[in-house]
Amino acid sequence: MNGASVVDADVGVVGAGPGGLAAAARLAAGGLSVVVLDEGAGAGGQIFRQLPPGAARPAADHEPPSHASGHALLAAFAASGATLQPLATVWDARPGRLWFEQHGASRLLRCRRIVLATGAHDRCLPFPGWTLPGVLTAGALQVMVRGFAVPPGRRALVAGSGPLLLPTVTALRQAGVQVVAALEASPRRRLWRALPGVLGHAGRRREALWYARQLWRAGVRLQWGCTVFACEGDGRVERAVIGRVDAEGRPRRDTARTIEVDVVGAGFGLVPSIELGLHLGCAARFDAGRGGHCLVVDADQRTTVDGVHAVGEACGIGGAEVAAAEGEAAAAAILRDLRGGPAPAGAAQRAAAERRAADRLLGAFAPLPGLAELATPETIVCRCEDVTLHQARAAAGLHGTSLRAIKVGCRAGMGPCQGRICGPFLQALAGGEPGRPMDLPVVRVPLKPVRTDTLLQAPPG
Amino acid sequence: MVETADLVVVGGGIVGCAVVHQLAQVLPASTRIVLLDRGPIAGATSGSSMGHLMVTPDDAAAYALTSASVRLWRELQAETGGFDFQDTGALYLADTDEDLALLPVLRDQFVARGDAAELLDARQLRELEPGLAGDLAAALHYRGDAVVLPMPACAAMLRAARQRCPGIDVRPCCEVTGFDRDGDRIAAVRTARGPIATRNVVNAAGVWAPELAERCGQPRLPIFPRAGNLAVTGHHTTPVRTQLLEVSYLRFAHGVAAVDPSRTDDPGGQAVNVQPQSCGSCLIGSTRRFRGFDRTLDRELLHRSLLRACRYVPGLAAAPVVRAWVGLRPYAIDKQPLVGPWPPVRGLWLAAGHEGLGITLGPITGRLLAQQIAGLPADVEARHWLPARFCA
Repeated sequence: MNGASVVDADVGVVGAGPGGLAAAARLAAGGLSVVVLDEGAGAGGQIFRQLPPGAARPAADHEPPSHASGHALLAAFAASGATLQPLATVWDARPGRLWFEQHGASRLLRCRRIVLATGAHDRCLPFPGWTLPGVLTAGALQVMVRGFAVPPGRRALVAGSGPLLLPTVTALRQAGVQVVAALEASPRRRLWRALPGVLGHAGRRREALWYARQLWRAGVRLQWGCTVFACEGDGRVERAVIGRVDAEGRPRRDTARTIEVDVVGAGFGLVPSIELGLHLGCAARFDAGRGGHCLVVDADQRTTVDGVHAVGEACGIGGAEVAAAEGEAAAAAILRDLRGGPAPAGAAQRAAAERRAADRLLGAFAPLPGLAELATPETIVCRCEDVTLHQARAAAGLHGTSLRAIKVGCRAGMGPCQGRICGPFLQALAGGEPGRPMDLPVVRVPLKPVRTDTLLQAPPG
Repeated sequence: MVETADLVVVGGGIVGCAVVHQLAQVLPASTRIVLLDRGPIAGATSGSSMGHLMVTPDDAAAYALTSASVRLWRELQAETGGFDFQDTGALYLADTDEDLALLPVLRDQFVARGDAAELLDARQLRELEPGLAGDLAAALHYRGDAVVLPMPACAAMLRAARQRCPGIDVRPCCEVTGFDRDGDRIAAVRTARGPIATRNVVNAAGVWAPELAERCGQPRLPIFPRAGNLAVTGHHTTPVRTQLLEVSYLRFAHGVAAVDPSRTDDPGGQAVNVQPQSCGSCLIGSTRRFRGFDRTLDRELLHRSLLRACRYVPGLAAAPVVRAWVGLRPYAIDKQPLVGPWPPVRGLWLAAGHEGLGITLGPITGRLLAQQIAGLPADVEARHWLPARFCA
């Protein structure tokens, strides 16, 4: 089956992170044929990313407690009979059809149901020097360290907002990188607001304690209400300017000071990856607390399009526990649809409970609007098309205040990333008028860049 | 107090922007012009288009208008700049005996217009464009064509216009909801943000010009959307430097369509049109099909146009496609734009229906209409563009 250009399955799952794995394992155990497509080389997704074959595995006490559930998910998936198609990039779809590129071949997955477990991507914020080599997103740093076992530098600054700063710091420490500073932009009182969401959830409580111990052992202290103002250097990052921000995230320039670093991990949270869902016609709504536009789903994780379910971060940032629970809920509903039988025992309720708990925690780390002021008029905001903030503002002024107008006016968002990097920033720039809904990202085929011959060899669907 | 304007231009695409730009050249600096668009400036057909400035030799009148317009483009580039303009020239390609025989015919047409084009043999062709397929026997090289990015070009026209006439007001995302008449004369434009009293309105709404005319109580204009699919490759991937087009493109794109544009059973067609962009991307087109206002990707036609493009430029097969989309060309039933007064309503002017030549013909359209509105003699003869031909 691996080489055929057309693959058939009862269910096609996009994404092999916790949501996709949980859904696939449960669906396959229920007797359905399941194919999981993932861009990575192996299962696990970003959070349970597996090291390449031959790389030294970290000792068990070097892994956060949540990774035990990751191992359990991976084992259940491996035993379930579901098939993983790794290194597969989905570039076009319609209900029941997923076109993907794999090893240079153009392939089609035909299925009765689609489960979108497409996860999330880093929320990028432009600041002076953010395009210098050595400045990476928190996600990219983790790919280097945990996916390829490559230390990205010697002296690191980690800055941004939200719980993902913690695994970034520990991953760097384990790769032998000195973490010079770890800056959380949110004011410290957000910690107190987030605490009930942590302490009230057994898994998160264990996780938080583990990270607190790791940071304490490494001598890294999380500094609240601080962030990176700028990165400087000749051809690559050599220095970072850091300082305090006010409660809204606005930089307090009088507090700026410079530190010497050779790598910067900037992680301002995550944005749900909903492009495939939008392309399929699924409705989305804006929820700042969940990271931006999220696919709309019901209690059984059904989107507004028949035969398309969505789970995990695509429905709003919530973390691995939420994704796995929602994967189970989607699988239970699909099994009921396709195989009949008794109603599932509480999968949807468990998913809803996990989602509520995550909302309590992550709501405390909603994006700080003032951080947009880190960018100066000369700062590049669209790094694919080299568009500065000044040019984007001029385009918004002449062509009209909307994401589409900015794109038309200055080409921001027209490059290979299709607005995934600059989108959230430009969305906020366009959404200047109160009361107007945030513009949805514009989605075009191919959803990710693929070679012309991949398009030409696409099996007809 | 009701807002007033000397002129309201509806449609912020290349034609509307060129009309505003040219009006600013011939009217007093105190003239108050309002440009309205229901979306962003250059956000519809112009923003979806290729930006090939194309001099067409196959007809004397068409040559006079396209070459005059490309000259105006060069003047704009020299005077204001601020938009991507590339002197790419054009290569007319052929891969059948029938089409190869057309190359000298086309060359003779350029010569007959007092212009020049050069027939290249296989060796000369490879020297000029090593990225072309090795088996091409000949091509025709015309140096007069160029390529612009339409969106920044629209912005440059509006900037230049506002420098001459500070009273020009550009209003994107402002929809026209209707018109007020005073007898047979325009009295006001009603918009989503209130009425504007004016005695002159230019309908430059492209494929939506018929809809706008209907809001003015006029019968549907004979303009129909003709869809085109385009794909663009990533930066620094273009294997060629010259604008490429199949010689059959002229027959395919510039003739009156063989099908009834109001029907939806048009099978459509394509002719290769490959355009290197200033950032090193490559635009791949072009397809034509009548299917109403549907802007979903036409996978079958796109497939055919990519396949044919790779036949001429084999290196494109390995280039990453970043995005593909559909734009709607405003096709007038007799394949000529409607530029001039609309006699049944005094004060209503039309500038629409340019099909695939809107970017090329934008400046001359603006110039001719501005001269008519200002009562000045015309630069170029374009009686066959007058909308009165549809007022029997």
